[in-house]
Amino acid sequence: MKRLSLSPDALRVLAAYGAAVLLFVIGAFVHPGFASFGSITSILLVATFVGLVAAGQCFVVLVGGIDLSVPWVLNAAAILLATSSLGQDSRAAYAVVLTLGMGLVAGFANGVGVVWLGVPAVVMTLAMNGIIEGLALGLTGGMTCGACASYAPPVIAASVHDVWLGVPAALWLWLVVILIVSFVLGLTRFGRITYAIGNNPRAAYLAGINVSLTTVCLYGLSGLFSALAGILLVGFGGQASLGMGTPYLFQSIAAVVIGGVSILGGRGNYLGAAAGAVSLTALVSVLLALNMPDYGRSIIYGVVILALLLLYGRDQRE
Amino acid sequence: MPPEAAEPPRGRTRRPVLAHVVGQNIGLILAVAILSASIVIFAAMFVVQQDRLPGSFEITSTVNNTMPLALAAIGQTIVVLTRGIDLSVGGVIDLTNALAAIFLTGGVWHMAVVSVLIVLAGGVAGLINGLIVGFGRLQPIVVTLATLSILQGLAIRVLPTPGGSIPAGYTAFLVNTNAPTALCFLALAALGWMGFRRSRLGVDVFAIGNDEQAAIALGVKALRTKIIAYTIGGMLYAVAGLFLAASATGGDATTGDDYTLTSIVAVVLGGVNLFGGRGSAVGAICGAFITTMIVNILFFAHINPLYQSFYEGLFLVIAVVFGALIGRLVRGGR
Repeated sequence: MKRLSLSPDALRVLAAYGAAVLLFVIGAFVHPGFASFGSITSILLVATFVGLVAAGQCFVVLVGGIDLSVPWVLNAAAILLATSSLGQDSRAAYAVVLTLGMGLVAGFANGVGVVWLGVPAVVMTLAMNGIIEGLALGLTGGMTCGACASYAPPVIAASVHDVWLGVPAALWLWLVVILIVSFVLGLTRFGRITYAIGNNPRAAYLAGINVSLTTVCLYGLSGLFSALAGILLVGFGGQASLGMGTPYLFQSIAAVVIGGVSILGGRGNYLGAAAGAVSLTALVSVLLALNMPDYGRSIIYGVVILALLLLYGRDQRE
Repeated sequence: MPPEAAEPPRGRTRRPVLAHVVGQNIGLILAVAILSASIVIFAAMFVVQQDRLPGSFEITSTVNNTMPLALAAIGQTIVVLTRGIDLSVGGVIDLTNALAAIFLTGGVWHMAVVSVLIVLAGGVAGLINGLIVGFGRLQPIVVTLATLSILQGLAIRVLPTPGGSIPAGYTAFLVNTNAPTALCFLALAALGWMGFRRSRLGVDVFAIGNDEQAAIALGVKALRTKIIAYTIGGMLYAVAGLFLAASATGGDATTGDDYTLTSIVAVVLGGVNLFGGRGSAVGAICGAFITTMIVNILFFAHINPLYQSFYEGLFLVIAVVFGALIGRLVRGGR
């Protein structure tokens, strides 16, 4: 298919953005005011959390891995932030560093398991999800501990909700993340190495790339981004709760795939995954505007993902 | 003739038959070993705490609790053997569980017909997975993630709130609470597997898992085989859904969700290679029982139930790492 001068990868990213715009247009038809500035920013704010997790997932998927530990790394991060900050601004910086560190360590542990212990990524990250779930539940006594009810420090809540130049602060943060991740993947040695490993780990190794270390770092980054999303979610909602990370596993993988990142690795970029996050969130919002019940949303969600996959996700390696 | 020319053939025959058999079935052997060890540990703890051996009640409830997972794991095994993975397990179990809670009523024949239809419904779900994976040439993990969402939605549509009821006779037939008769079904499944393994289909499934291109070159119809594998998987998940409904004596459109991940855990513990081509139903059944025994052991060790998933996760990693290590040692001579 060489009708257009654009590469297939660029087409997929464009398709993801097209889907997002289309959904906003449909939303505006079914629900007046859906495409208003306020409505769009609030949908984008919700998409931010998916988008941040998808950044980590994107790194891992680019080398042909997958991170199933997202739900509880995110949830544990939310709990850790609330319990270590105790809702005080003076402890916020310490809590954020501690929480991001926890995410990083969990991610590194995933990477070590996958790379050096030779555990398949699905199994390693699944086990890590369980390990962190058990620790989070056990250490907080099932969220019954005194500190568990703490609210997010005001400064963190503000860093999500405060409006700068008409746009919530968290959206600016996401924009910065999009720029940094795109820069890292597209224009740095680290990014080149990541694609090289995703395309052919053996060739990358023979070319003198430290495949193991890079892969461990990528898993570490995934943990870091899950933790970041957890921190912002506490700031967004005010408190941590059990199960708050669960939807993000499905959504982060869906966003990455819709955004044109090949699940086999080596192809795609974060710009696409970010568009995937926006389309997914816009889709949910449209269905909510249509008063679609839960089950209907779940079904349409799956159908749309399948449709998009069939449209442009064909495995071209065969 | 230089002397080393005659070496290779002799080197091959030097390998004893026993070592070869052990090397080929190392996954299964490890699964059986872990299961035996966990049963011994459990029995020892039970004796210490209750002053008697685990009796009929304990064995029956363990077997009945494990039935849905064992069946789901066998289905997952067939898909994994083709180098695929099926995340829609939870959705199929949700849906079939919900259908069972609503439509299982009336006489024996009516229930039998309904059961068959429900199993066929699971088969259709699997067929759709297989068709999309096969014809769409898409990655199984994302396809089944999407169908998982669809099936979960359908299940909640069928049974919005937990409820419905399963006739007592049906429960007694599938999960007899007085004796571990459910083991008969597992024996049937193992027998069925022996047939499958020796059938054209089974050989094709293993061939695809080991090297798809080579299999196609040798005349294996890869597309058709994959579709059939997913379909059989779907039917087995449906049977798991029926067993789940029978032991819960009611339906819940969300209880199946856990089985997506636990079926993968059981498959891995059962020595099935996630990269395809190696594994067996007996291994999957062992893996399912190991999963249940771990929970039992944690219970008798008075571990805070909140920490349960911590120990399960840790155990999973350790089991896989040591399994790979021992496998490498046994096969190391090659």
